[in-house]
Amino acid sequence: MASLLQPDRVIYLVRGEKKTRSPLSQLYFCRYCSELRSLECVSHEVDSHYCPSCLENMPSAEAKLKKNRCANCFDCPCCMHTLSTRATNIPAPMPDDPTKTTMKKAYYLACGFCRWTSRDVGMADKSVASGGWQEPENPHTQRINKLIEYYQQLAQRERQERDRKKMARRRQCMPMAFSEKYGLGTRLQRQRAGAPLSSLAGLTLKEGEDQKEINIEPAQALDEVEPLPEDCYTRPINLPEVTTLRQRLLQPDFQPSGASQLHPKHKHLLMKRSLRCRKCEHNLSKPEFNPTSIKFKIQLVAVSYIPEVRIMSIPNLRYMKESQVLLTLTNPVENLTHVTLVACEEGDPEDVNSTAKVMVPTKELVLAGKDAAADYDELAEPQDFQDDPDVVAFRKSNKIGFFIKVVPQKEGDTDVLVSFKIRHDFRNLAAPIRPNEEAGDATTEAIWLTHHVELCLGPLAP
Amino acid sequence: MTDLNKQIPPKSAKIATGAVVCVESEIRGDVSIGARTVVHPKARIIAEAGPIIIGEGNLIEEQALIINSYPENIMPDTEEVEPVTMTIGTNNVFEVGCVSRALNIGDNNVIESKADLGRNVSLTSGSIIGAGCHVNTSEVIAENTVVYGAGGKRRVQSEKPQPQTLQLDFLMKILPNYHHLKKAVKGGTTPVRN
Repeated sequence: MASLLQPDRVIYLVRGEKKTRSPLSQLYFCRYCSELRSLECVSHEVDSHYCPSCLENMPSAEAKLKKNRCANCFDCPCCMHTLSTRATNIPAPMPDDPTKTTMKKAYYLACGFCRWTSRDVGMADKSVASGGWQEPENPHTQRINKLIEYYQQLAQRERQERDRKKMARRRQCMPMAFSEKYGLGTRLQRQRAGAPLSSLAGLTLKEGEDQKEINIEPAQALDEVEPLPEDCYTRPINLPEVTTLRQRLLQPDFQPSGASQLHPKHKHLLMKRSLRCRKCEHNLSKPEFNPTSIKFKIQLVAVSYIPEVRIMSIPNLRYMKESQVLLTLTNPVENLTHVTLVACEEGDPEDVNSTAKVMVPTKELVLAGKDAAADYDELAEPQDFQDDPDVVAFRKSNKIGFFIKVVPQKEGDTDVLVSFKIRHDFRNLAAPIRPNEEAGDATTEAIWLTHHVELCLGPLAP
Repeated sequence: MTDLNKQIPPKSAKIATGAVVCVESEIRGDVSIGARTVVHPKARIIAEAGPIIIGEGNLIEEQALIINSYPENIMPDTEEVEPVTMTIGTNNVFEVGCVSRALNIGDNNVIESKADLGRNVSLTSGSIIGAGCHVNTSEVIAENTVVYGAGGKRRVQSEKPQPQTLQLDFLMKILPNYHHLKKAVKGGTTPVRN
């Protein structure tokens, strides 16, 4: 039953600023704070930009200049797939002798999915394979650039006034130079700045630019609007020629209504991001710089530190009848782990969703460490754990199967949800071992972590 | 053996000279195949409810299914159903795994992999039915139409797809090196010996 292994069946609770519930595969574990972290309680930072089709890395400054678009790759304006360059041979007059013709290569862009070609919009074939294709110019670029300059200057002026006010309040503690050095560049300042300023922060001028006064003309309101064409109501619509909203809005400069005016745009860059714990400022996830590599330099994901609960089999669940559900617990670390399960008490503030009562095994479960070489080592003796057959169904290397008893409390169509807490010991190998004078005390202290787990067992049997 | 309703003479495939039809392909019923057509092994052309006439220069790839079957709401053997001929024009490409039940297919069409055409669709010329698209409507598809995407989106392209002459020439040279071919049969039905 592959549906039992779906990630959203088993959900762990993250006790951050906001209580979020997500499957363990989507969570991170900060081993300095010893807490689970979800995507919502970490800060996301852009690591690098890259193009998804040519996998070319681009430094952030260049990306900003090119508006986060790749220089070489194009998107089909019709189906948004990546365009590929195709070549044909056309006869062209030789440069020496105009009477004779020779085969020259002409390149055009074509989409492999919807068969759109650059010839459909009237773009001529180019003689170079790459670099010959230009996007059409936006007629309003000059006005927009002027407006941007004006607002950059305005933002600069406002920032200086604000700095001046702040310094006046601070009396003489901070000299002039400090406020500029610790401007909106550091992260701490950024977090303290309120929302209205952060939108203009990207537009600040570089230091040292001339403060020339830029005047802009206000936009003029026109009284007359272009009239609609006369056959607007009578002309039959040529449906293939009308662009869809998505095609239209992907080109906000022109927003063409006809398919014969859809020009290809450069492909958008994607970015690699790194995650950072907000409390201790340590990196939780840092990808490799190379766009072709999917590995991570730092990868503190929760599945490699916290034992994972998975549902193995569910019997028919009936209202107010006790049934046994088989779960598995997997130990991701290499040392022995002790796990205790505790049912949620009455009135537990974290236990909001459960619709059934659950009886968990009271004894402590012992999980063997993950041994990568166990498959190859035939002579290894299986470790002898005294397992209670009522509780432990099977044991296989670092995995254990155990039973819990479930009594559904709610009748009807709702799914049966149970929750309990799992308490396990965690050895923090990252923390620096305090140098002991007596050598040999190499074992790290184990701390006990408790997690709240919710399981969705599906609907009641009809 | 049973001659009760077998007054129709036994049908066999008429393969024109110049057509390359591999022995591993399954051709059942009254099928005639034009010159310069290549039928790959494991292609299936089944004429149940009427004859199939295939023109010249077509490329029918592996696991393609061209079937002239009875319409779904008629049971065979109940009434006299008139055989309806399925016509396929020239320079069409039936890519791997496509299913075509369409009765009229014109010229220069491309039916991409795993596409499904219903019985009442008519392709004129230059159309491309994209991979995995199911076209079950009863309509005549205009010239140079491209059907693509999950929802069967359509658009009109400015020129018809190129005929696959290079590919056809290559296959007509290479396939006989590796497969036995069905012999060309000129017109007229030959009596089948038991």
